Amino acid sequence: MAGLFAVFLAVVLGCALVSRFGNLISLQPRWAAALVIFGSGTALGIGLTSILFVLGLLLIPGSRGLAMWVEIGALGWISYDLFRRRNSTPPTEKPRPFPGNMILMAALVLSLALAIGAMSGSWEANPQGGWDAWAIWNLRARFLTAGGSLAHRAWSPLLGYTHPEYPLLTSAFIARAWTYSHSMSAAVPIAVSCFFFLALISLAVGGVAAWHSRSLGLLLGLSLVATPTLAHVVSDQYADIPLACYFAGALVLTLLDRPLLAGLLAGLAAWTKDEGLLFAVVFLAAAAVFRRPQLTGLLAGTALGGATAVFFKAILARGTASLLNASLPSLAQHLSDPARYRQVVGAMGAEFTNMTAGWYHPILPALALAIALRFEIQRRRDVLFCCIVALFLFTGYFFVYIITPNDLTWQLQTSLSRLYVQFWPVFLLTIWTALRAPETTAIVQAQVLKARKKA
Amino acid sequence: MSKVETPRIEYPLATNVGVLLAAALALWGVVEYFGFESSYQKQYHDPYLIAAQAARLENFREAVSSDAVLGYLTDATPGSVTADSMFLAAQYTLAPRLLQKDASHQQVLGNFTRQADFAAIGTQYGLILERDFGNGVVLYRGEPH
Repeated sequence: MAGLFAVFLAVVLGCALVSRFGNLISLQPRWAAALVIFGSGTALGIGLTSILFVLGLLLIPGSRGLAMWVEIGALGWISYDLFRRRNSTPPTEKPRPFPGNMILMAALVLSLALAIGAMSGSWEANPQGGWDAWAIWNLRARFLTAGGSLAHRAWSPLLGYTHPEYPLLTSAFIARAWTYSHSMSAAVPIAVSCFFFLALISLAVGGVAAWHSRSLGLLLGLSLVATPTLAHVVSDQYADIPLACYFAGALVLTLLDRPLLAGLLAGLAAWTKDEGLLFAVVFLAAAAVFRRPQLTGLLAGTALGGATAVFFKAILARGTASLLNASLPSLAQHLSDPARYRQVVGAMGAEFTNMTAGWYHPILPALALAIALRFEIQRRRDVLFCCIVALFLFTGYFFVYIITPNDLTWQLQTSLSRLYVQFWPVFLLTIWTALRAPETTAIVQAQVLKARKKA
Repeated sequence: MSKVETPRIEYPLATNVGVLLAAALALWGVVEYFGFESSYQKQYHDPYLIAAQAARLENFREAVSSDAVLGYLTDATPGSVTADSMFLAAQYTLAPRLLQKDASHQQVLGNFTRQADFAAIGTQYGLILERDFGNGVVLYRGEPH
């Protein structure tokens, strides 16, 4: 229970931070604002406290509980400040919602209940999670929990078989909760995975609802919950769900014109996995073209997580070989080998078709909406921004496979499905930015009623 | 007599049908996922026996200091899924102790799939059997290179 308290503390602290400084309370409708606050607060709280924990390990290795008191103090101060300002929230505007929104909300709640019910069975059967959870992320959390010089083993070159060069966000956060609770409960990584999944859905639903259309937001959430491969990875406790959450969160908050917060999440993606570094670069490059007024805020936000990830890679884990360095000797040969291109294209196509469960494919809801609602071009820059990020991210993944020094067949078999999990929310969000909102298809007819006025 | 104008809002059939169809498809997807996940967990209940490793290696864990760097010896076929999962599961269970896949350490974990003459196996690598913990788990003592 104490471990779960440490997880909740980070989530509440993150929510308090974004409520106070994120300028999200003004979003409409109120329920969308609440979802965006929960989603971004969860992602930010977990990310920031993981950085704070690692800083504490490196700078003050003897005082392991100090970071917790810093967090509690910060939460107390922000909560007091929020309480003082509680009357400054704007009133709710009168919306003209799509009449099916209540049905969509009920369907989303039912979907989440079903999905989490299925996951709970999985957590009971395999509390240690999938292969990467116990062999990489939670293993490194165990080293960090040991503290002192033993914590440095989390990035020791002697761990070469289990990627000591990977960034530490999830491992450090789990270690933080284990350290505070003085126990290594399996409930902590399970809760982390679940919170990131809920944060991803909340950001998608609330973000699109506040940005463009309530019904489209709810439908995006439904479509994400109904992605079998994505939901399956939640119970595996892999870092791909946190990464997907940071990707989608950064895009949604950019659309909502909250550049600092968007940048923070993009930076934390880099602190989560190597693919996050690629995302941060692609995201900032696309922003430099399509979101120039937001670029300063985005850069400032990205600096924290990005600098932490670069510091980790360049200083702490410098003795470990990165995929890029290892691929240099065979780079020219791999790039000029057409067989590798054919194999990667074939595997990517096959993976897309394998995203099914039974006869269901997660692209079906998007197809139904595209046919029924069609696309609009009014928000062209937003659509282009998301398209460019999605396209270059996917292209980056493609070329990582082309140049990989590992056996290509093995690499594709063991990682491609998880790359699709990271990419899928970005892909759906890109489609959703271009969809016409159901609300805009409304036909308003003036109805003349004759009412008798009683004398 | 007075006139009160209230706007009546209607949505095209395509919009209503499309939105409801997308929601219904998504619900179908969640139900399919529920079925898939349930059958998957029945089929793959702790496939790498991670939970069992904690009990199997518990006494070994207590016998070795937490800052130890240990060698590793096994009879599992090198490069096989069994060998990799046994090694990584042992590393996960024994962390923060570090495991190295060679026998040139002062302390070496013997992690075997079946009963054998563990002392004789150790001798082949210049190791002395220090303690047999049962279930194929042994501690060897050797000379660091």
